[in-house]
Amino acid sequence: MKKYALYPGCLMPTEQYGYEISIRETFPLLDIHLVDINGFSCCGEPMKSVNQLLTLYLSARNIAISEKNNLDLYVPCAMCHLSLTECKHILDNNTHLKNKINTMLSSENIEYRGECKIIHTVDLLHDIIGLEKIKKQVKKPLENLKIATHYGCRLIRPSEIGRPVDSENPQKIENILQAIGAQTNDYPEKLDCCGAPLLINHPETALTKAGQKLKAIQEQDFNALVTVCPWCHKMLDARQNKAGETIASKIHLPVFYLTQLLGLALGIKKEKLGLELNLTYTNKI
Amino acid sequence: MSITDLTSMAGSQTQLRIEINKRLSNLQNETSDYCFQCAKCTSGCEAHKLLELEPHKIVALLKKGLIDEMVNSDIIWTCIGCYKCWERCPQKVAPVQILYTLKNMAVANGKQIPGKYTSMLQSILSIGLIQDIQEAPTYDNKTKKRDALGLPPLSKPTDPQKFQMNLTKIAVEKI
Repeated sequence: MKKYALYPGCLMPTEQYGYEISIRETFPLLDIHLVDINGFSCCGEPMKSVNQLLTLYLSARNIAISEKNNLDLYVPCAMCHLSLTECKHILDNNTHLKNKINTMLSSENIEYRGECKIIHTVDLLHDIIGLEKIKKQVKKPLENLKIATHYGCRLIRPSEIGRPVDSENPQKIENILQAIGAQTNDYPEKLDCCGAPLLINHPETALTKAGQKLKAIQEQDFNALVTVCPWCHKMLDARQNKAGETIASKIHLPVFYLTQLLGLALGIKKEKLGLELNLTYTNKI
Repeated sequence: MSITDLTSMAGSQTQLRIEINKRLSNLQNETSDYCFQCAKCTSGCEAHKLLELEPHKIVALLKKGLIDEMVNSDIIWTCIGCYKCWERCPQKVAPVQILYTLKNMAVANGKQIPGKYTSMLQSILSIGLIQDIQEAPTYDNKTKKRDALGLPPLSKPTDPQKFQMNLTKIAVEKI
């Protein structure tokens, strides 16, 4: 049994409940114990355009809270995962900045040490739990399903600071899907952005980007799309209708969190995986 | 300390502007040496087709020192932050980092921040997160909240005052 602090971020625990529910249901079955810690805040990533130092401080603060509890961090959101990883990359290579941040953190009785590992859903499943273990636990393989994958920009790049998957040819979600019995395939638009970060100031363009990607997937004979980031999921699932309208197309593509599909394959009842919260029609699957 | 003070050109922002300037001149030194305008960044840019952002031109303008012109332009706010430009640059130049720093400069100069950044920052200051618990819609047109779904309480800063004090210090002075 491995123990991790669950770092929820902002979007997952305040509205993308389907991801959180399915995470809490599936990981215990794979011998992962998730610990809830009070005191976490935003990772700072959405504020990078406003003040990068603010982002750095917020990320360091969350890592420090986890280090105080002597736990590695499990971060389900790709945005948060990049922000925390980048913070670690910067502070571990800059003692001067690290000391300054720590002076400020000391008022909350915490310290950034840089010992904590930062793990995302994909590497937790693929590298730490491992495909063999997942295969053994599968009760209801997802047969006859062909699923498109969406990794999310911030999960795959920039590789210079260390990302859990390859930047140009990521295959880990594909491997996990195959381990739970589903089929998958690469498609030309696989690495395209969902558009979510542009919602803040260019909503029309953001929806166009999502619409174009969804339309392309729909035309390529996939049954569903799988995501591993609450921002991407919200964009491709909750905003699917709007995205379709923006590019004048009808789109009906079921969108799942990877942990929801995994839960189904592990034999968890669909009521317990938060599937009612997916706003695309997932019942068919 | 209110949000207006945090993002306006108050006297105390001088330190912050000096710090951002230093970051920009570092970036300028790095890119001047390496970028040879192959435009591979622009060919992959997620904001290029729809919003006409051209990262290689951003690098060229920085090389020439036309910083004020960029800080005052709306084009810097079109970057999605997809990181393709940094990933694919054969010379390891990172236009995305330049763009983030230029946006920081615009904010420190008291330029109007576009979109929802201000309300997000306000929310982080008051509750630590970009938004509080929402009613999530379900497929059959109901709404559900955390507690109704059996999820544990939200993790938030335990001492909001201390939390807010530190953030304010960073935004106004510099670390």
